[in-house]
Amino acid sequence: MESVTEKYFFRRFLYHINGKQIFIINLLILSILFCSSIAISYGSFGIPVIGLILGKTSEIQNIVFFEIRIPRVILSCIVGASLGISGASLQGLFRNPLADPGLIGVSAGAALGATTVIVIGSTFFPNLVLSNFLLPMAAIIGASAVIFMLYLLTKGFGYQGVTYMLLVGIAVNAIAGVAIGILTYISSDEELRSLTFWTMGSFGGVTWPLLIPAIVIILISIACLIPAARQLDLLQLGESEAYRLGIDVQKLKYRVIFASAATVGASVSLSGMIGFVGLIVPHLTRLIGGVNHNFLLPGSALLGACLMIIADLLARTLLQPAEIPVGLITSALGSPFFLWLIFRMNKY
Amino acid sequence: MSIKAESISIKLGQRQILDNVSIEIPEGQIIGIVGPNGAGKSTLLNILSGDLESSFGSVFYDGKLLGEISIQQRAFTRSVMAQIQPLVFDFSVKEIIEMGWLLKGATQLMAEFDHAVKEISVACDVDSILERKFNKLSGGEQRRVHFARTLLQLWRPSESVRPRYLLLDEPTANLDLSFEVLLMNILRNRASKNYGILVILHDLNIAAKFCDKTAVLKNGKLLCFGCPKEVLTESLLSEVYGLPIKIDNHSNIITYY
Repeated sequence: MESVTEKYFFRRFLYHINGKQIFIINLLILSILFCSSIAISYGSFGIPVIGLILGKTSEIQNIVFFEIRIPRVILSCIVGASLGISGASLQGLFRNPLADPGLIGVSAGAALGATTVIVIGSTFFPNLVLSNFLLPMAAIIGASAVIFMLYLLTKGFGYQGVTYMLLVGIAVNAIAGVAIGILTYISSDEELRSLTFWTMGSFGGVTWPLLIPAIVIILISIACLIPAARQLDLLQLGESEAYRLGIDVQKLKYRVIFASAATVGASVSLSGMIGFVGLIVPHLTRLIGGVNHNFLLPGSALLGACLMIIADLLARTLLQPAEIPVGLITSALGSPFFLWLIFRMNKY
Repeated sequence: MSIKAESISIKLGQRQILDNVSIEIPEGQIIGIVGPNGAGKSTLLNILSGDLESSFGSVFYDGKLLGEISIQQRAFTRSVMAQIQPLVFDFSVKEIIEMGWLLKGATQLMAEFDHAVKEISVACDVDSILERKFNKLSGGEQRRVHFARTLLQLWRPSESVRPRYLLLDEPTANLDLSFEVLLMNILRNRASKNYGILVILHDLNIAAKFCDKTAVLKNGKLLCFGCPKEVLTESLLSEVYGLPIKIDNHSNIITYY
């Protein structure tokens, strides 16, 4: 009997999701399919989806569809998923409802890593910059460095770390902003053009060769985060309680830190800094379904993907043919929500 | 079979928190620890549970050195109830209790799971608040919920004979009188099912009434360890707490005011 009980120890995360939550997950998957089918057909260049299926579209419509529209929708989908799940995991790991990759400076760290490679890298290793993996790797290193620093700085603070972490985030954002500013100043005109989009975020200009490494990195990170869900639940009782329930807390931290850093880094390297998604999405997911991470992590990934597809659709259709930076839309929606969260926290 | 600590010493900074303490928690017994604040009671419990490592001395679970037992194995052997941090997210009471279930995924035990959760929540009198949000409960209710979770962690299929231990740090704090007695009776019941139990207590009368053995700790030293009647004497307690403490000869009630 003992061997049976202990054999199953690692599998216990499988059963912590209820029927209602499975229904919501399915619903979210359907909404993603629905939203992306709208997103691929609307835009400054209309493409009739039915015509496309029947093969009645022109050559140029096909090129726009396969080389511009589809990569763009896929990119917004995976970036949304990545920001959603990393926000949820970081909130769980730090036991901090205000943790968001943007607010606590992780995205800024990733952007700094990427810009450094764009500006400095082209001077020293002109050939390496062309490598599609270099940019995401630099962004991931920047993001990991920031999360690691946050972890070290908030170690002894426990629950009081909520506001403290935000203060550190302000500092990190400022430092990264200065560094990016200096890099912008010393960069050449051509480099400058690729720098401008970091601060606002955009899904424009993505191509398949850039997209595929990011998809691989993000999917691996998500696959690494979701099995940690039950452990994150138990971590909510406190680090020592989780340890007493048989969880190797140190291992869990490294796992969540590096997986979140990888997914944020990969998405920032392609789309720049898109604010507040990692903050709002997990809270909305908790509101509609529940707080257990077996639901929260996949739910946040799906809801994030869905919202980001819609945000990008709005960004490129609202002021046609001009395009609003998608980060502007998410910040416009997210910042009031952030204020509301702070207001609600003060009531406790 | 027992949890055994052999000559434990620990220093934090310049302060000697524990000095050469040896204690054993055999199966089927309740061991109480009493002593003034800062005596090192919680530190001793943390060393026994494996949260803290002692500078000198060693801890054995059933004869095996604690350091050689994996974190998962420890969770199956002992459960701990200690001071708890506030929760950030709105888990329900039921979800919190279920966090103690280590055997999720063993499908042949799923029927037992519902039964075990129900039985334990009835025993701890939390069955009426299972659906409520944990954060909305009073301090005493929260402690009862954590107590239920601690019990669920040690649940075993009835044919299992593996030893199990409960380590409790002031479980009766914040509980009203009836629940204090309820909790101690649950502990007695578990001891009769062969659990080994270590409990830190403030109330000397509770310690005298419910414990099989009592340890008195002061300034990191184990002053004495034995049957409560022999250990909890007027002279020793008066000296330990610096108060004139009286014990009634007939009823054995300890008074200190």
